[in-house]
Parts: sequence; C-alpha cells; structure tokens
Amino acid sequence: MAGGITLPHSEVLRIVGVRKRYGQVQAVDGIHLTIEPGGIFGLLGPNGAGKTTTLEMIEGLRRPDEGEIRYGEWDLQHHQKVARERFGVQLQTSAFFELLRVEETIDLFASFYARTLPREELIERFELQEKRTAYVQNLSGGQRQRLAVAVALVNDPEVVFLDEPTAGLDPQARRNVWDAVRHLRDEGRTVVLTTHYMDEAEALCDRLAVMDHGHILDEGSPQELIQRHQPGAMIEMDPSVPIPDDLQLPALERIQRDAIATALVTQKLDETLAGLANWAHEREVPLTGLRTRTATLEDVFLHLTGRSLRD
Amino acid sequence: MKQLFMVTGALLRTLLRNRQALFWTFFFPVLLMVVFGFLGNSSFKLHLLVAGGGSPAEQRIVQAFKKIPYFQVQTKGRSAAVHLVKVGQADAVLVLPKDAAAPPWKASLIYNSSNLQTAQQTVSAVESAAAQINLAFTGRPAVLAVQAKAASGSRSSSFLDFLLPGILALMAMQNSLFGVAGSLTRWKEKGVLRRFLATPLRPLQFLGGVVLYQLVFGLLTSAVIVAIAMLALNANVYLPILPLLIVVVVGMAAFLSLGFVIAGISRTEEATLPIINVISFPMMFLSGVFFPVTTLPPFLRAIVHYLPLTYLVDGVRGLMSGQYAPWSPQVGGDILALAAWFLVLAVISTRTWRWE
Repeated sequence: MAGGITLPHSEVLRIVGVRKRYGQVQAVDGIHLTIEPGGIFGLLGPNGAGKTTTLEMIEGLRRPDEGEIRYGEWDLQHHQKVARERFGVQLQTSAFFELLRVEETIDLFASFYARTLPREELIERFELQEKRTAYVQNLSGGQRQRLAVAVALVNDPEVVFLDEPTAGLDPQARRNVWDAVRHLRDEGRTVVLTTHYMDEAEALCDRLAVMDHGHILDEGSPQELIQRHQPGAMIEMDPSVPIPDDLQLPALERIQRDAIATALVTQKLDETLAGLANWAHEREVPLTGLRTRTATLEDVFLHLTGRSLRD
Repeated sequence: MKQLFMVTGALLRTLLRNRQALFWTFFFPVLLMVVFGFLGNSSFKLHLLVAGGGSPAEQRIVQAFKKIPYFQVQTKGRSAAVHLVKVGQADAVLVLPKDAAAPPWKASLIYNSSNLQTAQQTVSAVESAAAQINLAFTGRPAVLAVQAKAASGSRSSSFLDFLLPGILALMAMQNSLFGVAGSLTRWKEKGVLRRFLATPLRPLQFLGGVVLYQLVFGLLTSAVIVAIAMLALNANVYLPILPLLIVVVVGMAAFLSLGFVIAGISRTEEATLPIINVISFPMMFLSGVFFPVTTLPPFLRAIVHYLPLTYLVDGVRGLMSGQYAPWSPQVGGDILALAAWFLVLAVISTRTWRWE
C-alpha cells in the first residue's frame, strides 16, 4: 500500500456460551472462546464438528440460538454492520458469478464497502495478474481460492475468516495460501481459520481450539496442546504385529491402534524401546515397520476424541 | 442504490457473455413466429389457370386478368390444368373454346369444389373480373361505375399479429420464472448468496438488483422480438409504448414474485425446474398465447380467466391489435388484475423466502 500505512486495529473476539441447532443436530453446543487480536487462530476438527457453523455465527451469517458474540465493545447480534464492515470472509464454498471477470468480481465487492484496498494491490498480492480478465469459471482451484481470499481482503478487514482455505488444493497451492495467511497476520490482522488438516494447524496457527460434536475439547498453542495431551514419544509399527493389550513395558503409557499403525505411547523412549526389543526377541515376534516419532497434533486429536482425523 | 446498480450491471454483463442462454432466449420465440407466420400467411391470391391452346384470345385474356391484383394467372394445357385444379394445386381453370378468334368467347370455368367458401370466392371473383374485362373491351360507358379504394391505414390481421403479443407475454413469464427461481436456487446452492450476505450489501439491495436486472433483460428481449417480428416477418401491430410498458412491467413483477415464491420453496436447482414447468405449462397452453381463450370449453374458461398469464396476454394483445384503446378500461382492468397477483405473490414470497 502506497502512502501512509494504517495497520488495522482488531479487537478481542469473545464467543460466550453459543449454541446452534439444526433440526435434530446440535451443531454447536455451548462454546466459549476468546480470540485475542493479532495472530492466527485455528478451529481444528473433523467434518461436522461445528467449525463452519461457529465461523458463520461470528460472521453474522447465522444467528445463534443462545449465547453472545462480542467484538470489542460491540455485541455483534445487535451491531451486524460492525461485523460486515470490518470482517473479511472467505466461505468454504466461495462461489462468485461464473461469467464475471476476476477484476470485475473484485470491483463488485469493493463497491459494497466504504473503505477498500486498491484492486491492483490485491491482484498483485495474490498473483492474479495474468488472470485479471479471465472469467471466474475458467480459474483453477488454486486461483479461485486466491481470488476468494483477495475478495475477503477487499475492505481492508481487521479480522479475516478463512473456512478451509486449502481444501482440495495441491501442495504447492497450499503453501502459497499459507504464505498469504502469514502475511495477513504480519500486517496486524487477526486471522481465524478452520481446517481439518493437522499439519496445516501445526504449521500455521498460533492458537488452536480443537472441536468435535459441537464442543471445544481444548484450546492452546499447538505446542501446549501436544505437551498437555501427548508428551513424550511414539513407537509405531504395522498393525499386523501381535501386540497384546496388556503388554507390560517400562514407561509405557498406553497403546493406540488404528488402521495404519499400532503405537506405544511413552514418556521415556529409550526404556520402552529396549523393553519392546527384549519382548519381541523372546517371543520371536518380527517388529514390522518399526519407527519412532514425537507426538503431533494428530495424536492430540486422537487422545481428545478417541478417533483419528483420517477417518 | 449504487450497490443495487452494481449487482444489476454485473448480472447483465454475465448474461451477455452467456451465449447459450441468449441463443435459447430468442430461438423459440423466433422459431414460433417464423413457423406460424408462414402458416398463417394471408396475402391471399386466387390461383387461376387459363387453357386456351395458345390462341390470341388466350393471350388477351391472360393480360386482362394479370391487371387484377388478386389473381395469380398461368397458362396451361387443358388436361394438365384440370388435373391441377382437381388435386387442389390451383383454384380454377378457365377453358377457352378452341380456335377462338374474335370475341365474344364462350369460356367455361372449372373450379375446385372441395371447400365451399373458396369455391364461391373463386367463382364470383372470376365473374366480376369477366364483367370488368367486358367493359374494358367494349368501351361502353358503365351505368354504375364503382371504384374500390382501400381505407387508408386499414390493416389485415395475420396470425403472426395475433401470435406476437402472446409470445411477448409468454417470454415475460418464462424469463421471470427461470431467471429468478432458477438463478436464485442455483446461487443458494453454490453459496453465492451467502458470500454477498457477508458484506454490507443488504439483502433487499441484492434482490432489488436481481429484479432490476430481470426487468431490463425482459424489456430488451421483448424489444428485440418485436423488432424482428415487424422488420423481418412483416408483423403488423400497434405499439402504444407507455401503456404496453406498464402492462408488461406489472406482468413481469407478478411473475418475478412467483419466481421468488418458487425459489423460497425449492431447495435445489434440480427441484426448481420441474416446479416451474408444472406452473407455466398449463398457462402457456390455456392462457391464450397460441389460440383465443374463447375457444376453450366454458368450465375451463372460468378458471383460465383468472390466471396471471391470461391477463397479461389479454392486455398486450388488446393494445397491439388496436382492439383496446391505450387507456381503455379493459387495459386498466388487466393492469389491476396483474397488480393484485403481484401483491398476493409478493406477500407469499416474503413468507416462503429463505436465504439458504
């Protein structure tokens, strides 16, 4: 941005006891969240966890059945205009008019706001220069996603909401989106995103809330969550290795099984590993696919929900 | 207002880029007009054959008949000519006596008698032509000379002239229903609407933009169809612009509200199209688009009379045929009835409308 740069000043977002029900389904079941200004806040959870509904209630697209959403001093249910003017939104299915050109789409959305960023800056920033006159229908998945984020920024928002910003993108395109998201934070904006990719949450988010079945299971930085729920290390092997449930090994905390691996969770990797080696040697059990690793968010999620995100 | 116009402008732009949609918008109306325009072509001429074996008399008589505009005259051999008349390819054959040199000539007229009306027209036309020719040949002053003159500005009404207003009304209905119900359910499904709702653009501004776009599009396509009908297909209609505009806009408003009702009820675009067809097909065939409502059985007429398309067809046709004076009570009645439909449907649509 040329000239005097005014960084956006975002406020604290408070979600207090918010519930939302669709028919028989309690999509969001009384959540409390405080999202501090600045930084990237992630809502992590499987499909159907209630992430999108939570996001859309904050954005003002859905009305909570119960509870309160505050942005700074404003109660957003009574000051929807505040949310619409100051928030930037990329929806999970950000569909635009298929036969409108990229630059026309940006102009159209810019015309709705009092305060806007220059179109050229957005086009450059999201590398849409070559596609500026292309119809939306002719954009690739990555280009569409970049346009969606560009449009989310058109009003120079204080808070940017990104719903599954990298869903369906190839690895290169995902990394481009990550860079763009970090750039948003570095400009002083608050970014709130949802994802069901663990690596994305770990690589991108400063703070995370893990959601499942409409509840927030825990909240913290990725490192805090790992420390809290899955300190130590994992010894993994193929599920075909006959590990009994009542296996006794030094420092072994518990055994986790899923379709891909059987994992021994331990606080002292060396002791458990030595014990496992002895056990296997005595019984002549081949430890197929043996490997060790430190815990990740994936393990945290498994611990919190009892199931894998891969399901 | 600026936001509303931006939405309208964007939609008009996307429409102009949608070649396929544009093509189908014009294809059926034009096809209908061309097909029915030819069918109902009423520039009526009697097809008269003269069988005189190439005699000088034949030539003089052919010359005389050719001066009369409603005859299409041809010479033919006698048996071939009679055959053509029998199979209905010509209306009559005038058979001259062989070797007719000097008048008077005694000719016989052999005509196709399958259609009583045509046969009578043919015979009396040839007889009166013969009387004229006699006068011209003999040069005797007539006791009563009648000179026929066309009333200036008189129009013949072809089937195309009847059909064109019906097609305009039909297009107003179809474009409004598909434009609103079709597009809105598609945008709902794809999340286009939600994205707009997350901006300061107010829902009514967005819907206003859609309505304005539909009105502009509807009026432009109507103008194009009228131009094609009048310039390329020789349609002969009155165009009292202001009353026509009012009738059409109020009619479109009624069908746009109906479109919003359907868009509110239906969840997916796939479900929308059959609903539109169920509603629009009966009206398309019963409301007088292709044939007058008066040809329907009375019990059906009683129902059809109150359908919105019936009023729209009646108003547009009344004005374009010249049957209704521009500000006549009949036109006012149609406008009021359409306005009532608009109000009722608009109220229903606010109840059924859902943003998702």
